[in-house]
Amino acid sequence: MEQLIIFIALIVLGYTAGTIAERNHYKSIKTREHKLLSLPACTIKNALYNDAQVDKAHLVSGSVVVSVDYFKRFLAGLRNLLGGELVSYETLLDRARREAVLRMKEAAKGADIIISLRIETSSIGQSANRRQSLGSIEAIAYGTAVTYKKVNEIPGKRT
Amino acid sequence: MRYRAKELKQNVNVSRTSPIKELFILLGGVLGILIAVYAALGFAVDLVVPKLPSSIEQSLGRLYSGIYDDTDETPAEAQLQKILDRLSAASGDTEIKYKVHIVLNPQANALALPGGNIIVFSRLIEETASENELAFVLAHELGHFANRDHLRGLGRGLVLLTISAALLGADSSATNFIMNSLQNVEMKFSQRQEQAADLWALDLLNKTYGHVGGATDFFEHMSKNDKRGRIRYYFATHPHPENRIRVLRKNILKKAYLEKEKTALDRPLSKLVTTPGRTN
Ligand SMILES: [Zn+2]
Repeated sequence: MEQLIIFIALIVLGYTAGTIAERNHYKSIKTREHKLLSLPACTIKNALYNDAQVDKAHLVSGSVVVSVDYFKRFLAGLRNLLGGELVSYETLLDRARREAVLRMKEAAKGADIIISLRIETSSIGQSANRRQSLGSIEAIAYGTAVTYKKVNEIPGKRT
Repeated sequence: MRYRAKELKQNVNVSRTSPIKELFILLGGVLGILIAVYAALGFAVDLVVPKLPSSIEQSLGRLYSGIYDDTDETPAEAQLQKILDRLSAASGDTEIKYKVHIVLNPQANALALPGGNIIVFSRLIEETASENELAFVLAHELGHFANRDHLRGLGRGLVLLTISAALLGADSSATNFIMNSLQNVEMKFSQRQEQAADLWALDLLNKTYGHVGGATDFFEHMSKNDKRGRIRYYFATHPHPENRIRVLRKNILKKAYLEKEKTALDRPLSKLVTTPGRTN
């Protein structure tokens, strides 16, 4: 009986806390994404257009670890039994990826573009997939931040 | 070409579904299927158990309680055995030789094991005041044998174990929840069996002693010592002692059983309980 009460309490707690955390996180992601819109991140390997010249290029990365709440974990557990789309983990991964990209962009402040963007995901810790432990995932985004030479720095282009 | 970032307007990676709705659909599906499987398997066990020959039960009993067979009978056990023999003679069941064993245990409880072994915990003997009270407890266990509950319990336990093994490896919280739900179904079966054994014991007590004095004494002790609420008993294997007393009283009235003077125990049994090397 106590077990059942504790379980229901955990489910309710997980759902409420998880929903609030998720809403706040998405709000923060959206405003930051808007702010960093001027710094594009893309997967192409060649950064040069027309006669632009590279001034600086360096590796930038951003990573985040996000944990799933008890409610979603329970939902995923049921899904594991029946099969099908694991919808309850979708927002978790989406948030982790976007947060990682945002942190990478924040690390690349001043650059003009981030090229060769890669995103990787892994479950955290040895216990990540074991029973009785909470599932957390890490998303890491990395790429090459490129800063172009300013037009007046390119020789012969002085106007 | 110049690369320009675009704001994400619509997220295709996140499905627009209600998690609460998903929870109820999944929970309903999984629990429904499992309870159906469990009930079907349990029903199969109930069909097989009454047809199980007693030779199989005897060998199962040796497996299960062989450890108790080798020990010498203590004076307290001899006294209990006398009561038990009288009861089983009155019940007319002479096929199986029932044997009583006392085990040191702080719980006031008794249990029926395959092979006709009845285990009585020492605390129960310390708490009983009359022979009739003890006889009712023993008769209750004999009732379990008569209804073959001890084998049913084994069979259902096996089913529960099989299902839990099949679910093992899946997510823990979900599996635990499902196992708890199945156990609650099991409890309901079990409470019904306890009730049946109680009524069986009442009839046997009347047949043996000619009256049913002391039948409710044990449960009265229990409910006095047990301050747990009724709600917790909803999820227990045994009904609430007060409920058991109520049902017994109702049946005593209905069958017009008499309640005469209780027989005192020959010697204070509690003094005889403690024998070394008997802890389980
Ligand atoms: Zn019982």
